[in-house]
Amino acid sequence: MSTYKIEVEKLNAWFGSKQVLKNIDMKVKDRAVTAIMGPSGCGKTTFIRCLNRMHELTPGARVSGRVLLDGINIYDDGIDPVQIRRKVGMIFQKPNPFPMLSIYDNVALGPKLNGVKDRKTLDLIVRRSLELAGLWDEVKNDLDKSGVSLSGGQQQRLCIARALAVEPEVLLMDEPTSALDPMSAAKIEALIRKLAENYTVIIVTHNIQQAARVSDYVAFFYLGELIEYGPTKDVFEKPRSELTERYITGKFG
Amino acid sequence: MSRIMDAELRNLSTIIYKMGDLAYQAVSMAIYESLYGRDSYDRIKEISDTLILLADQVEDKIFEIIIRFQPVASDLRIVKSYMKISYDITRLGRYALDISYINKRFGGLGGSEEWIRTYIADMSEKALSMVKMVMEILRSQKIEVIKSVSEMEEEIDKLYINFLNKIIDETNIKSRVVVSSVLVIRYFERIADHVAYMCESIIYMLTGRKEFLR
Repeated sequence: MSTYKIEVEKLNAWFGSKQVLKNIDMKVKDRAVTAIMGPSGCGKTTFIRCLNRMHELTPGARVSGRVLLDGINIYDDGIDPVQIRRKVGMIFQKPNPFPMLSIYDNVALGPKLNGVKDRKTLDLIVRRSLELAGLWDEVKNDLDKSGVSLSGGQQQRLCIARALAVEPEVLLMDEPTSALDPMSAAKIEALIRKLAENYTVIIVTHNIQQAARVSDYVAFFYLGELIEYGPTKDVFEKPRSELTERYITGKFG
Repeated sequence: MSRIMDAELRNLSTIIYKMGDLAYQAVSMAIYESLYGRDSYDRIKEISDTLILLADQVEDKIFEIIIRFQPVASDLRIVKSYMKISYDITRLGRYALDISYINKRFGGLGGSEEWIRTYIADMSEKALSMVKMVMEILRSQKIEVIKSVSEMEEEIDKLYINFLNKIIDETNIKSRVVVSSVLVIRYFERIADHVAYMCESIIYMLTGRKEFLR
């Protein structure tokens, strides 16, 4: 069996007539952290949104090429995008717990929508998800409180717990710490490393040092193209591309 | 626009170049002393101590650069290589001091056989040229010259072994000359080794390749 969870082949993406991703070929290792870095507008976010069919939700957006999840092209006819988004969860830049829901219900909502009704089962899922997200001990006595009553870092971990509750296989994270203070960011980074023991994690980050700290593999995008992709140590020690070198050493532009 | 880190890296280079110049001075004084008996021990000791202080400064600056800038890629390779190179240069100073000590303790090679003096003069000049060349390579970043430094290092290794064989075969040389010449020649061989290590660091710094020249 392939050790690659996701295989991207000749992926192109557009917003209307503007092409934002150009012929991306990339194989993402299972149970590892892959960081996507590059300057603003290089296509990082679009790329990960193509990995769970969120890109097509934007009016005028389209995709060509193949994205294989465990060998199955998620863009094939007959594939249910909702099922794909369940398997490939997304964490956004800004924590976005449902404001009207309690901490418990924020986590339980996904399983409920997927048909889980039994309270004991839901309790177990909520607890397990909050534990995996490293939040259980901090909120176990406040499960009825609103999700937005938590601090920014806790809200982000709640969103991670919410994503984990539907048992995804891949977690996409779009700059998950950019709105957080250093302590909260450090907790999320530690959590990312832990999650990679059981999940495939892809993180978009503007923070080069964060990419170096948390990832096993790193990809550098520029103007919609994948310029370089390889083990993090190699890319940060001796990048093959002059563009990568200039970007990570801050000599860009 | 240059980066804040560039000025720090330039400062680091300046210290390393200064260290190289001092090490060259120390080795050349030690050679002169061996062959012509002029006592330079105090000055060489002063240089060797200065090199240790400068290596400490390099280490401090590198830590500051890591803390402030978290260097990666070529920047990271520069700081890693400078750390190693500064250590290698302190060794050059230390070996010059060791040679000077042997000269002081045993009275130099003035009274030794002509062939020994010629042999050591030849080998020490090669070692000194290597020191000069490596610092020039570091400044100019012309790594194509490294091949010739590496060849010289191999040559010095052979000269060292050859000298040991010859001195074993010679039965009527005074023991003090045997001891002092073997020690001195050994230090020159070590100087050449450290120049080769410096060349390896320069290759890594400029290309990312790890090559072993010894």
